Amino acid sequence: MIGIATTISQVVLSRLASDQENNLRALTNAYLDGISAAVTQPVMRGDVWETFDALDRARTHYTGVAARYVIVELPDKRVLAASEPLRFPVRSSIPTQISVHFPVIDGLGLDKEGGRAWLSRTLKVEGHSVGKILAEIDIAALLEVRRRVFWTLVLVNGAMTLAFAAIGYAFLQRMLRPLGTLTRYVERVREGRAEPIPEGDHHKISAEFRRLFDRFNAMSRALNERETLAARLAAQEKLAVLGKLASAMAHEVNNPLGGLFNAVDTLRRHGADASVRDSTLNLLHRGLWQIRKVVRSTIVTYRPEGFSYGLAPADIDDLRMLVEPEAARKNLVLEWRNEVFDKLPLAVGSVRQATLNLLLNACAASPPGGKVDFLAKVENEALVVEIGDAGPGLPSDLAAYLIGEGEAATLPGDGLGLWIVRRLVGGERGSIEVASMATQGTIVRVAWPFRKEPAAKDGEMPAIAEEIVHAG
Amino acid sequence: MLTTSRRGVLAVLAASMLPGVPRPARAGDATPISFGLNPLFLDSDIELLSMIGQYLSGKIGRPVQLVRRRTYQEITALLLSGQLDGAWVCDDPYVQHEDQLALLATPLYRGEPLYQTYIAVNENSRAQSFDELGGSVHAFSDPDSTSGYLVTRYLLAVRRQTPASFFREFFFAYGHRNVVRAIASGLADGGSIDGYVWDVMTEREPELVAKTRVVYRSERLGFPPIVCLKSARDTEIAEGISRAFLDMRLDALGQKILAILKLDGFVAATPDLYSGTLEKWLVVKAQA
Repeated sequence: MIGIATTISQVVLSRLASDQENNLRALTNAYLDGISAAVTQPVMRGDVWETFDALDRARTHYTGVAARYVIVELPDKRVLAASEPLRFPVRSSIPTQISVHFPVIDGLGLDKEGGRAWLSRTLKVEGHSVGKILAEIDIAALLEVRRRVFWTLVLVNGAMTLAFAAIGYAFLQRMLRPLGTLTRYVERVREGRAEPIPEGDHHKISAEFRRLFDRFNAMSRALNERETLAARLAAQEKLAVLGKLASAMAHEVNNPLGGLFNAVDTLRRHGADASVRDSTLNLLHRGLWQIRKVVRSTIVTYRPEGFSYGLAPADIDDLRMLVEPEAARKNLVLEWRNEVFDKLPLAVGSVRQATLNLLLNACAASPPGGKVDFLAKVENEALVVEIGDAGPGLPSDLAAYLIGEGEAATLPGDGLGLWIVRRLVGGERGSIEVASMATQGTIVRVAWPFRKEPAAKDGEMPAIAEEIVHAG
Repeated sequence: MLTTSRRGVLAVLAASMLPGVPRPARAGDATPISFGLNPLFLDSDIELLSMIGQYLSGKIGRPVQLVRRRTYQEITALLLSGQLDGAWVCDDPYVQHEDQLALLATPLYRGEPLYQTYIAVNENSRAQSFDELGGSVHAFSDPDSTSGYLVTRYLLAVRRQTPASFFREFFFAYGHRNVVRAIASGLADGGSIDGYVWDVMTEREPELVAKTRVVYRSERLGFPPIVCLKSARDTEIAEGISRAFLDMRLDALGQKILAILKLDGFVAATPDLYSGTLEKWLVVKAQA
C-alpha cells in the first residue's frame, strides 16, 4: 500500500514538474515575444529611454512572469537598458558571475535549488542580431506549488495508507479472532485438557470457522472418551498384572510352604531333640521370613498411600522380589545392579510402578533362557534406571510413543503398560530414551530428576497415578 | 461676381494647400480646429485633455481636435506647415521660429508667466551641483525643450562642453515625467527637467519625485506659450483660441482645468518675455 502511494506520488510529481517546465517555457516564450516586439525598434535606434520604458511597462503587463530583472544587451556586450538600472547601468558590462547563468543559445536555463530561471533571446532584424534580451525569472512560486503538492500527496497518501492499514488490521483481527480461540483450546489439549469450545464463542464468526469449531469439539469429545477408556483399560491391566503377581506370589509362598510343613512334622516327631528342634525352627524362621518379604513388598507397591516422597535403595530392591517369579517362570537370568545408596527426593510409588512395568515388559519381551539387565544409579541430580532385554526390539512407533515424540495410532494390549509408563514418568518431569542393541534386545533408559520442592501432598499427584492406585 | 467668387474660392483652396498658410475658418463652421499640445506632464491625463478639448470647443464654437505628437519637433513642423490652427509649444521652438510665430497667450504660474529649469539627480547620488555631473548618465526631455535640453546645453556651452563630452551617456526621454522616471529608477544619474512639471509632480506623484533631488535651478524664463502662425494671427480662429485661454480663469470648466494644471490663468505676452530663452538659444546655436 505504501509502495502504491509512493509510486502514485512520484508519477504525479514528475508529471507536475514536466507540465510546470513546459508551461514555464511557453510563458517565458510569450513574455520574450512581447518584450522583443516592444524593444526591437528602440534597440535598433539605440534609444535608451524607449527600451527602458518598454521593460518597465512589461513589469506590470506580464504579471504571470516574476522577472527579477531584464537586461537588453547590445552586440558589443554592453547594456543598453535594464529594468534594474542601478544594478545594470547604461553602457556597463554584465558582471561575469551573472552572465554565466544565461544560456548561450536562446532558451531557458533552470536552477531548481535556487528557484531561478534564466532566459536569453537574440533580437534579430532581417537575420542580423541587433541585441539580446536577458532575464532572470523567479520560479520560487512554481517550486512552492510543487512543494505544496508534494506535502499534500505525502499527507493524504500517508493518512490513507494509515487508515487502510488500520482498517485492514482491525478486519484481520476480527477475522482471526476465532483462530485465537481455537489455538487457546488446542493448547489446552496439549496440556492434557480436551475442552470443547463453549457455544457462546460460536457467535459472529464465519461459517468456515463454525464448522472448524464443531469439528474441534467433536475431536475433543472423542479425546475425552479415549482418555476415559484408556483409564478404564489401565485399571483392567492393573488387575491383570495383579492377578499375575498374585499367582506368582502364591507360587513364592507355596514354595517354602512344603519345607515348612516338613519342618512342622519334624518338630512333632523329633522336637525333643534340641539340636533338631533348633535347626528346624531356624528353617521355619527362614521360610516364614521369605514369605513375609514377598507379602510386604507387594503391600508397599500397591498400597494406596504408596506415592509418598523419599525413595530408599530398598524400595528399588523390593522390585526384584516382584519380578523374580516372572523371570524364574521364563527361566530368565536377572542381572540386578542397584547403585543407589541414599534416600532420593522422588515419588516412591510413581518410580516403582513405572520401573516395575518396564521390568515386566522386559521379561515378557525376552525369549526363555534370555537375560534381563537392571541398573539403578544417581547421575546429575537424577535417578537413572536402565533396563535391558534380549527381546526382538521395541517397534519403532511404540519406542517413539514411549519417548513422547508421537502418538501411537493403536496401542496393543501390552502397550497399555507403556502408556502408563509414559504418563507416570511425564508426571514427574522425567525423560525416557530407547536404544536398540546392535544384535538383539532393547535398552530403556529412564531418568527422574530430583524434586526441588517440598514433598507434594497426595492430592497433587498426577491424576493418572492416583486413578491407577484407587483402581488397585 | 461668379468669377470673383470662384477665384476667391480657388484662392482659398490653393492657400489652404500651401505650407505656412493657415486654412480659412469661420465661426460657426463645423470644420474642426486643430490644436497642438506638447507633451508636458499631460501624457497620461486623458480626462484633462478631454476637458481642454471640451472647453476650447465650447469657447470657440467649433469642434476642436487636439493633436499630440511624441516630439516637440513634430508639433512645431505641423504648426509651421499650417496643419495646426494653434499650439501650446515650448519657448525654445518659439524663439527659434519667432519670425513665423505669434503669441496668443502665456500661462501664469504662481502669479507670473515664468518658470525655471531644474537639473535633478537620483536620491542616492552624491552630486550637489551641476558641475559634479560630469561623466554621468544624463536624461534630457526633448532636443527642442528649453528646460529639458536648451538650458543644460547652454550651461555646457559656456563651459565649452557638449553633452557628448561632458556626460558619459545621455538620452532623450521625450517627456518631463519620463525624465523624472529615468532619474528615480537610476537609469539616468541626472536629468534636465521643467521646474514647473517637477513642482506639480511633487504633489501628484510624491513617491516618484521623492527619489530625485534638485541640484540646479536656472533663472526664471518665459513660460511655454500658446502660439499660432503670424500669418493667421488675425483670423477668427486665432482670436478665438487666444480669447479662450485668456478668459479661462473666468469660466467654471476653465477654472477646473487651471486647478489641475496648477496655473493661475493665461495672459497676453510680448516677445521680449522670451529674451532669456533666445539668448541661450543663440549661444548654443553659435557653438554648434
